[in-house]
Amino acid sequence: MAITITESSAKHWALRFVGVATLAGIAIYFASGAAPSTLGKITEACTLAIAAIALNLLLGFNGQISLGHSAFAGLAAFTAGYSVNAWHWNPWLSLLISCAVCFAFGMLVGLPALRLKGSYLALVTLAVAFVWPTVARKFLNQTVKQSTLTGMKLKPPTWTGLANNRADRALFLFWLSITLLIVAYVVVRNIRKSRIGRSLVAVRDNETAAAVMGVNLPLTKTITFGISASLAGLAGWLTAAQLTTLDENSFTILTSIKYLLALILGGAATLAGPVVGAFVYYFVDDLLKTNAPHWDFLPGPLSNGPVASFLLGAVVIAFVFIAPTGFVGLIKSQTRRIAIVVPRPLRHSTVAEASVEESESP
Amino acid sequence: MTALLEITDLWAGYGRQQVLQGINLHVDEGTVGVILGANGAGKTTTMRAISGMIARQGSVLFQGSAIGAASPDRIVHAGIAQVPQGRGTFTDLTVEDNLRAGAFVRKNVGASIDADIQQWFGVFPRLAERRLQKAGSLSGGEQQMLAIARALMSKPTLLLCDEPSLGLAPIITQELFEVLGRLNAEHGLSILIVEQNANLALRIAHNVFVLETGTITASGTPSEIAQNDTVRKAYLGY
Amino acid sequence: MGDILQYFLNGLARGSIYSLVALGLVVIYQGTGHLNFAQGEMSLFATFGAWWINDHGVPLWLSILLAASFAFVGGGVIEFGLIRPAAKKSPFAVVVVTIGLFQAFNSLSGLLFKGAATGLSFGTIFPNKPKDFFRLPGGAVWRYENIGVLLTVLVITALLFLLFRKTKVGLAMRMVANNADSAKLSGVPTNKVLMLSWALSAAIGTIGCALVAGINTNVSLGTMFGVFLLASAAAILGGLDSPLGAVVGGLSLGVIESFVTNYPKDWWASTYIGADTATAAAFVIILVVLLARPSGLFGSTHVERV
Repeated sequence: MAITITESSAKHWALRFVGVATLAGIAIYFASGAAPSTLGKITEACTLAIAAIALNLLLGFNGQISLGHSAFAGLAAFTAGYSVNAWHWNPWLSLLISCAVCFAFGMLVGLPALRLKGSYLALVTLAVAFVWPTVARKFLNQTVKQSTLTGMKLKPPTWTGLANNRADRALFLFWLSITLLIVAYVVVRNIRKSRIGRSLVAVRDNETAAAVMGVNLPLTKTITFGISASLAGLAGWLTAAQLTTLDENSFTILTSIKYLLALILGGAATLAGPVVGAFVYYFVDDLLKTNAPHWDFLPGPLSNGPVASFLLGAVVIAFVFIAPTGFVGLIKSQTRRIAIVVPRPLRHSTVAEASVEESESP
Repeated sequence: MTALLEITDLWAGYGRQQVLQGINLHVDEGTVGVILGANGAGKTTTMRAISGMIARQGSVLFQGSAIGAASPDRIVHAGIAQVPQGRGTFTDLTVEDNLRAGAFVRKNVGASIDADIQQWFGVFPRLAERRLQKAGSLSGGEQQMLAIARALMSKPTLLLCDEPSLGLAPIITQELFEVLGRLNAEHGLSILIVEQNANLALRIAHNVFVLETGTITASGTPSEIAQNDTVRKAYLGY
Repeated sequence: MGDILQYFLNGLARGSIYSLVALGLVVIYQGTGHLNFAQGEMSLFATFGAWWINDHGVPLWLSILLAASFAFVGGGVIEFGLIRPAAKKSPFAVVVVTIGLFQAFNSLSGLLFKGAATGLSFGTIFPNKPKDFFRLPGGAVWRYENIGVLLTVLVITALLFLLFRKTKVGLAMRMVANNADSAKLSGVPTNKVLMLSWALSAAIGTIGCALVAGINTNVSLGTMFGVFLLASAAAILGGLDSPLGAVVGGLSLGVIESFVTNYPKDWWASTYIGADTATAAAFVIILVVLLARPSGLFGSTHVERV
């Protein structure tokens, strides 16, 4: 028999506190001892998580698919990299500008999305992802006049007490990526739990019904696209902060597919899904890349690269059958045997009961 | 009279939700059976369970053989055709192709199918006029006629009709039930209809079953049912 | 005038291949509503198979047919073993499985065929010596190989349309595509039809990929990437549930691509448009078409009830 816990009760808060404390403990543990390369990997996983959160807002909660999020991330990364290097902007200002640019561009892409659905929308956004490397290459050739763009080389601010060396920079980026991940998570969480969030879900589940209930469809859909794009821009900015050079191949369609896989493997339309999915995807991928066998008995392979890639494909497929609703869904269904969180009762429940009795009496 | 379709203790539903909770009913050879029920009583579920479209438990005997676990195509082969709720015409196919689609299970080729198409065009002359139009362009009543003709093309022994009157004008509904009555009287076709429109359905029925929240709560001949006070109030409105 | 005709003919050849691969996509989509992301890589794998059979002394045309039959069986097995069970799990499951298959098949090709990454030389079943062409009025050149590719595609398309229109199996496929529930209620074994769709699609894709490899004179792990992208664009341009749309979409996309690639040399600064932006330009044109017709040129629009 499972334990029932009422939502927002003292017990539930205690449980949440324990969860957050555990996560914080893990973060501090890594920050205090891990090698810069490990911290770098966690930073990359956090970046992927932010992008997956962005996609979750759009696809999971609003039902609009986008394969173009790599282009938004790329746009932000190039905006940041170029403005910091060529115009000597403050990196933090470039963060705001990058996100703003992505928001505007996202709304623009959201406009055709008003008329398109499903696979058709997937194609248009795919086109955006496909066009981005061409645009980036043109920009590099025409404006930068180099084949690569230099990254931001973000230095730790002096108040952190960190030096500008490899180890300290890795530590700084590690905390920065965690902070931005929390920001992205809180933004989407607050949207989801608000009135706007309910209208997003209403649009996803039934557009016509949502419109009839008074949801402004075009506004809701384009703004969601904009916010989602600017969150993807956050991930792009963070990438520019990590990499020393960017080029047209830094953000391709494969990047978008990675975002999508991370989201779906974790569990779309759940708040924790994209974060969990991103970490699982990143570290499974990483594990395979470093540990995949060579399979020399096969005629083709020169290295274990294709083996790792093949196994990743197989793992992804297997995952669909093990956890069809994503990793978070799997965890939920397992923990349900131990404890169930039930919604808190309505505040005016006594009134509601009374009115039911009244209507039944005649 | 022998029972053509004999259903005993049929359970079915969606996911964990059991909609049908042990249904018993039968359709005798050459008769019209009518299932009356309100929205959500399980009428469509009953139909889909008989046709094998959803998972179900219990015994379904058709002409003496068990079809309670058969797949939809086996059941059509056995001689049960269903006109689904909302008509279910192939909207992108022409009227004639819809009829050919209905004859999918028949092994015999060309000529006899063409002859049958002509026969049903005789019964439904308006379909003949629209022979090469896409079914999606037909009116609701015409689509319902087409759906029935399509089902008949499989030469069924038993025709299942799921709320044929849904969304049709009263005059069309009346015409529809006249056709169903004629099919029974002239062609000896056995029919099982689920309906909310009790007045019309009772006129052609031999046996009536009242379905309420997943169980049969009353059954009998139309006149017996009409005398049952609760049923009369709920479905006949007087 | 000669140039325009030349660009048109070149575009027609590539476009006919896009049509073929797009047809493969439509055959699956119309029955299930699934876009098979692995279509290109599945047929690439089979084409490597054709290369391998050919390498063992079998004539090329026979190798391709054998590979296509192998793909036919493989497509059916994949539908039965992976896609059908996944479709029961969740709406996203099939998308993820096909993306996983994309990755798995691409790497599997690299694992099983030595030199696949850099490219293996692939022959063509059509005459392709430098002088194998017709000279058309105005100076345009129509190569025998391009004519052969176009004819092959047209014959396969015609056969497919005969299958759809004139056979009972084809009727069943159209029934499932239009209304799966009613198809079941009319006695169609829908599972078998879907399996057949995947099998057909895989075989069609393999022939498409072998034709691409023939034109490129080699086959590598990257061969199908761009082709698949343009073929899916063609399918969507035509309307994903319309075989006719796939053909029209593919041909027009090939022609558009050819013009964008070659034309600006004469009249626009080739720095902004040109060979490297051809695909991008094709996508922009599709975007415009989709804005006017959200279900593609020939796709059916569906009315939803609330």
